[in-house]
Amino acid sequence: MNIKTTLALSVLLAAAAPAARAVQPGELADNTAAPLIAGREYMVAPNHPNQLNVLDLADNKVLKTCALPDAFGPGSVQISPDRRTAYILNNHFGGIYGIELDTCKVTFSARMSLDAEERAIAVFSVALSPDGKEIYTVQNPSKLHVDRYEVQAPRLAVYKTDAGLDARPARTFPVPRQLSLMQAADDGALYALGPDVYKIDPENGKYEVAVPLLNWKRPGYGAPDVLSAWAMQLSTREFSALYTAPKFKDGQQDLASADFVWGVLSIDLKTGKHEIADFAPLTEIYFTGTRSPANRSHIFTVLNGLRKYDIKAQKLLASASLEHAYYQVNLNRDGSRVYLSGTLQDVAVYDAATLEKIANIRLPGGDMSLSTAQIFVR
Amino acid sequence: MARTLGGALAAFALASGSAQAQGRINIPNLMAERCSICHTDDLGRLPRIQAQRKTPEGWLMTVVRMQRMHKLNLTDDERRALVKHLADTQGLAPMESAAARYALERRLNTVESFKSEQFTQMCARCHSGARVVLQRRTATEWERLVHFHLAQFPTLEYQALGRDRGWLRLALDEIAPALAKDYAYGDDAWQKWKQSARAPVAGQWSLSGHLPGKGDFNATMSVTTKGKDARDHYALTLDGRYADGEKLIGRGAAVIYTGYEWRGKVEINGVEMRQVFAIDGDTLKGRMFVADHDEIGADVAAARLDGGAGRILAVQPSYLKIGEKARLTIVGSGLDGEIAFPAGVKALKIIERAPGRVVVEALAGRRALGTHTVRVGSAEGGELAVFDKLARIEVTPPYAIARVGGNGGDAPKVEARFEALAWANGPQGEYKVGFVPAKWSVSPFNEDAKRDRDLAFAGVIEAGSGVFTPNNAGPNPLRHLMTNNAGNLAVIAETTGGGKKLSARGQLIVTVQRWVDPPIP
Ligand code: HEC
Ligand code: HEC
Repeated sequence: MNIKTTLALSVLLAAAAPAARAVQPGELADNTAAPLIAGREYMVAPNHPNQLNVLDLADNKVLKTCALPDAFGPGSVQISPDRRTAYILNNHFGGIYGIELDTCKVTFSARMSLDAEERAIAVFSVALSPDGKEIYTVQNPSKLHVDRYEVQAPRLAVYKTDAGLDARPARTFPVPRQLSLMQAADDGALYALGPDVYKIDPENGKYEVAVPLLNWKRPGYGAPDVLSAWAMQLSTREFSALYTAPKFKDGQQDLASADFVWGVLSIDLKTGKHEIADFAPLTEIYFTGTRSPANRSHIFTVLNGLRKYDIKAQKLLASASLEHAYYQVNLNRDGSRVYLSGTLQDVAVYDAATLEKIANIRLPGGDMSLSTAQIFVR
Repeated sequence: MARTLGGALAAFALASGSAQAQGRINIPNLMAERCSICHTDDLGRLPRIQAQRKTPEGWLMTVVRMQRMHKLNLTDDERRALVKHLADTQGLAPMESAAARYALERRLNTVESFKSEQFTQMCARCHSGARVVLQRRTATEWERLVHFHLAQFPTLEYQALGRDRGWLRLALDEIAPALAKDYAYGDDAWQKWKQSARAPVAGQWSLSGHLPGKGDFNATMSVTTKGKDARDHYALTLDGRYADGEKLIGRGAAVIYTGYEWRGKVEINGVEMRQVFAIDGDTLKGRMFVADHDEIGADVAAARLDGGAGRILAVQPSYLKIGEKARLTIVGSGLDGEIAFPAGVKALKIIERAPGRVVVEALAGRRALGTHTVRVGSAEGGELAVFDKLARIEVTPPYAIARVGGNGGDAPKVEARFEALAWANGPQGEYKVGFVPAKWSVSPFNEDAKRDRDLAFAGVIEAGSGVFTPNNAGPNPLRHLMTNNAGNLAVIAETTGGGKKLSARGQLIVTVQRWVDPPIP
């Protein structure tokens, strides 16, 4: 089983391939000037060739489509705390762009490479400070010498959101390798997922392990594998990711006979407390899982099928088969509807109680592939 | 699921272009002019280039990367001449390439196995381990290769088998030093090889081979030089026949790299084929495969007809059933003397005699049960199995990969060819008889395959030949989740031996196309 999970993410990361021709800002964008309405619930979903769709969840329709600069991929979006701007990691992992949602205007841009002699990318890592004034990202640079390449230490780069186009970082700090998803807590601490979860002080770059994962000492368990490319901004203010882990039969710690389980890691961004909870045996692969804002014990998971589990009871509650695979599962604010996105070019909407299909929202343009969709109330 | 090497699209042709034009290019000048733009040190040397050794295909990959990624300007003839020069002056000795020739020969169903699990997980998951093992570098160059990888593929350390470990640290602190020790740049084998005399290539070769799905063949291969200013370039003709009587006629060219690496391109009965052979004195060995379908290929061995001692390369077929008259073809060189079969095997009639090929009608008695070599004059060798009853058969290869293709896409279908290898029991235990005809079928490999109805979608096997042709590429609306026509199948061979039914099972994975197909998988 472990092999299957590992294969899944290899395929996934390999799939982050160059996209079709980039759309120029202004081109192909539809209804760009429609302002968002306060109190209304929206979803943003980036897709090919290189655009950001805003969906109105009141009628499950595409409200507008903003063209994005440069090239598509991976399309990891974070919504600003004032819900006016979407920040998207794009351009083959090489740039972050701020898009004003009311107007589709590009208000911020930063290249991950800081000079011509380096190549740097950020792997799904983009986060915003709670006051919306700063953007955080972890850049993985390599120095391009004339006849060889040299891998450099990764850096946390902090940008001011008002730095405009072609922004340079206000501060940088060295950080551990292999960091990806990030979210800032209410107290300003930055949580970053890597081999373990690190808590970073973005003022001075000091970091510590907040939640050991690869190095956890969970009695009876082997090292977990965390598979995530989607930093979902949940209305419950939780930073969460699924893991799989071997659960040993006995003290022999034999991997071959171990049972593999699915679990969810949740870090409460209001308090900094975290929870690690198994919820199912590993019988199939999921790419994402999201706890319901209506009932914290309910979790929805997706890849080839949509499943609903009770975490406490570790029980499958409901299941729906799908027309095709979806990578990401989101819920609306009251937890009544499930939104499936990623992979191809339609968002599927399901009733959270019955898992009955409500709608398919077909996006203009191509597939979403690895992009992150976010749901928010303006 | 075991991992095999894979590939479908035609690789670069090494043996092509104008030999004369390539011969006129002054490589040291070319390198001093064009490589030194980026690769030079204070002393005007080419430090990186001079600290690596690899196969012709290995150099081809590096030079093509310089062209594609670093905008190095070369004509096709310049590239061929440069690769030749680099493989000649900084190549691998025969001993050094021996362990991983399967990759050069494009035996893509090979399941690799390395002692170090760490090496396998870190360096043989995106490409073959052979790609690594077929290189020699200084410690610094192995380290720079690690840096190249992570700089070029920065998501590598986030992928499975990357994110579960500190990939960069392990690669630099453990893998690179181990490679520097096991695959060192300066090696005795290479020094010795550089100084040793080169075997002659031009002349007549007697060649024997076996092509799955078709059978045994043998031929005379005539090799002539292309003139003084085309050193190591040769013209070839082949004249022979398959076991089923069809003639085998071919014409083409070959280039010898590093003194022994034979790379040929020949058209045989209208089909373009490649030859990847290694010369060893007055014999050679390797594989000959269809240029744009490298899964279709023959094991080949050859011996010089006009040199050295007599040799027997093969007896075709490799077996005689007791009491059944059969024609045996002995393929080799210097087959001039008396034909001596093992005791109990009678040569009834000599049907054809030439120095490279002897055809005899033979009959075996019970006394001859077992395996033997045969002798013709001073030449001895081959394998002849005499049997009464077959004990069992096995499917070869036991595990194979086929790939969907076609359907308007760029990647052709990759088929799979299976054979039934028969064994018999003798007083000394079990012995190999050889490939026998069988009836072929496929069935779902396991419950998942049954549920997903892989059998209906993945493709079909020809009952008589064991050739499996996969289905079209692309999503199939008839399949669950509109998935493509992949599948996991059991391949079943059935035959009768000594009155009882014999059957055997292999596994066939039908999977998606491979989009990149580098010269070394
Ligand atoms: C425009 C600059 C440029 C030119 C011209 C150039 N190279 Fe390179 N070469 C590089 C760079 C950059 C690297 C390191 C990245 C890489 O390995 O692709 C490199 C790496 C190499 C390596 C090491 C590869 C490895 O696998 O470790 C070799 C060997 C090499 N070059 C050979 C050549 C040869 C031979 C030529 C001339 C025919 C040449 N290069 C011309 C830029 C160049
Ligand atoms: C993420 C996939 C990946 C992994 C893991 C990987 N490789 Fe590679 N490697 C590649 C690719 C792709 C190339 C081809 C680069 C090119 O020429 O464009 C390559 C090329 C090479 C080459 C040929 C370079 C040349 O020009 O001569 C060698 C040797 C090699 N790899 C060794 C290794 C070793 C050693 C490791 C483990 C430390 C390793 N690889 C791990 C993807 C990988």
